[in-house]
Amino acid sequence: MLIFEPHIHMYSRVTEDYERLALAGVRAVLEPAFWLGQNRTNVGSFIDYYDTLIGWERFRSQQFGIHHFCTMALNPREANDDRVNDAVMAILPRYLEKDSVLGVGEIGLDDQTKKEEKYFSAQLLLAKQHRLPVLVHTPHRDKMKGFQRCIDLIRDCDFPMAQVLLDHGNEETIKITRDLGCWSGFSIYPNSKMDPHRMVQIVLEYGIERFVINSAADWGVSDPLMVPRTATKLEQAGVPRSKVEQLVWQNPISFFAQGGRLDVKSLERPATSNLRDTFEGNSVLRGQDPDRL
Amino acid sequence: MQELANLESKLGTHAAAMRVLALEVCADRKRLPVVFPGLPRRFGKDLLREGRITFGTALLDLGAFRTCDLAAALLLLQVAVTEAEGFDLYEHGDIEERAMLLRALHVLAPSALTVRMLGEVQRTNMVLHLEAACCDGDLLRRTVGQPGFGVVEQNRMLLKIAFLDLPLARVFHAEQLANQELSRMLQDLATEREAAGRSIWRDTDRLISRAPVAGTIARILGGLEHGDDGRRLAAVEGLILLNRKDLAPFAIERLAREPRDVVRKLLVQAAG
Repeated sequence: MLIFEPHIHMYSRVTEDYERLALAGVRAVLEPAFWLGQNRTNVGSFIDYYDTLIGWERFRSQQFGIHHFCTMALNPREANDDRVNDAVMAILPRYLEKDSVLGVGEIGLDDQTKKEEKYFSAQLLLAKQHRLPVLVHTPHRDKMKGFQRCIDLIRDCDFPMAQVLLDHGNEETIKITRDLGCWSGFSIYPNSKMDPHRMVQIVLEYGIERFVINSAADWGVSDPLMVPRTATKLEQAGVPRSKVEQLVWQNPISFFAQGGRLDVKSLERPATSNLRDTFEGNSVLRGQDPDRL
Repeated sequence: MQELANLESKLGTHAAAMRVLALEVCADRKRLPVVFPGLPRRFGKDLLREGRITFGTALLDLGAFRTCDLAAALLLLQVAVTEAEGFDLYEHGDIEERAMLLRALHVLAPSALTVRMLGEVQRTNMVLHLEAACCDGDLLRRTVGQPGFGVVEQNRMLLKIAFLDLPLARVFHAEQLANQELSRMLQDLATEREAAGRSIWRDTDRLISRAPVAGTIARILGGLEHGDDGRRLAAVEGLILLNRKDLAPFAIERLAREPRDVVRKLLVQAAG
C-alpha cells in the first residue's frame, strides 16, 4: 500500500526513519514549517530553516526514494514574537512560489492571542494570493474555543473551505468540519492525544471522506510510522483496503493537489536518487561506497 | 538584437509573457526572487527541440535547455541581473531553480556572477548542477580569464567533471584547455581510482594526450589493451593526438587483434 504522510517534521528525525518509512510504503512526505522547540531570535534563522526544507531535507528524502514536499508559514507560537513576525511575513512570498511548497502552514492558533489572529489572517490572504491550500494548526489547549475561532477567521477572509485542512482534530471536531466542507487532519501519537484505536473507531463511525491521518512526528516522543500502523489497524478492523488506501494516499494528494503544483504522475515512481550526488558538498553516505549500498 | 529576437522566438507564444515578467521585475527588483521559482509552472519543463546555436560569442546546444531554462535566461538577460541578485537566487533556490539559473548563465556574458556560480558548482558535487553549468555549451572556456577564474580554477572544474564522469564532448571546446598540470591531476585521479578497483573517466586519454607529462604515453599505450571499447577508442584517439611516429608499431600490433571497426579505423590512422 502506498502512503502519503501529510504531516511529519523530518528535519528533527534521523536518517534511519527515512529508511523505515520507505520500507513501510511511504512514497511521499509533507513537512510543514513549524516551531523548533524554542523561539528563533532573528529572521535569518527562518531563512536558513526554509532553505533547508527545500534543499538538504528534500535531497535527504530523495536519497531514500521518498518525494519530499512542504508547507511554509510563520507558525502561531512565533507569531507572538516581535523579533521575527513581521520580517518572516516579508520573506514568505518568495518561498510560497517554490515548486515543492504545496500549501501555507502550519498557521492557526496556539495560545489564542490577538497577534496569532493577526498573522493567521494575514497568511490566509497570502495563501489566496499564491493560490495555495492552508494547513491549520488548531490549539491543543481550550481546543473547541480555538477551533471555532479559527473557523471564524477563515470565514472573515472568505477563504474557500475546501482548501482548508484543520489539523489535530478529534471526536469533538469532526461534525464541525464535516458541516463546513473543509478537511480534517488527525495526528496519531503513541501515548497521547489521538491514538490508532480511537482513529479506527472514528473511521468506522464516520467513514474517510475529507479525512487525512498523520504522525506529526517531530523532536518529541512521537512515532513516524503511525500512519502505516493505523492503516494496518484499520484493515484488521474490517475497513476495506480500498478505503484505507483512499485515506492514506488519495485523500492527502487530493487536498494538496489543489494548489496545482503536485505532479501526481511523478508519485507513481519512487523519487529518483543518485547516491554519488552531494548537496552543498554533503551526502548521507558518511564515506561509504555508493556502489555497495 | 536579431539574435535576441531569434532566441525569444524559441519560446513561441510564451515570449510575450516573458517580456511582461521582465517589465514587472524592472519596475520592482524585489519581484525577481518571487517570480523566478514559478518559471517552470508558467513556461513548462519540456526540452526545446533545437540544436546548437551561437549567441554573441557563446556556443550552446539549445536541445539541452528546457523552456523554463530559456525563459530564465531571457528574463535575467533583459533585467540585467546583478551579481548580488543572481547569487541570492542561487543561495535561496531549490535544486531545480539552481539548475535553471546555471543554464541561464550560458546566455549571459561571463561576469563576476559566472565566476561565483562556477565556484559553487565546483564545491558542491551535484551532477545536475555541474551539467547545467559546464555541459552543452562553451561557458567554461569563455569564463577562463575572468578575474578570479584562471588556470587553477579551470583545472579544478575539469577535474570535477572527470570525477563525476561527465562526457568531455558535452563541455564544448574543453579540449582547448588542456595543460600539463591538468594532465598530472587527471592521471593521479586515474591511478587512485584504479587502485580502488574503480573505473576511470573514459575521456582521460583524450585530454592528457594534448599536454603529455611523465606517465602519459604508458597510460595511453596501456589503454589500447583495455577490455572496455570506450577506453580503447579514447586511447587510440590519444595516440593520434600524441603524433609520435615511434609509437606507430603499437598501433600496428593492436590492429591485428582489434575487433571493433570504429577503433580499427583510427588504429590505421595511428599506424601512419
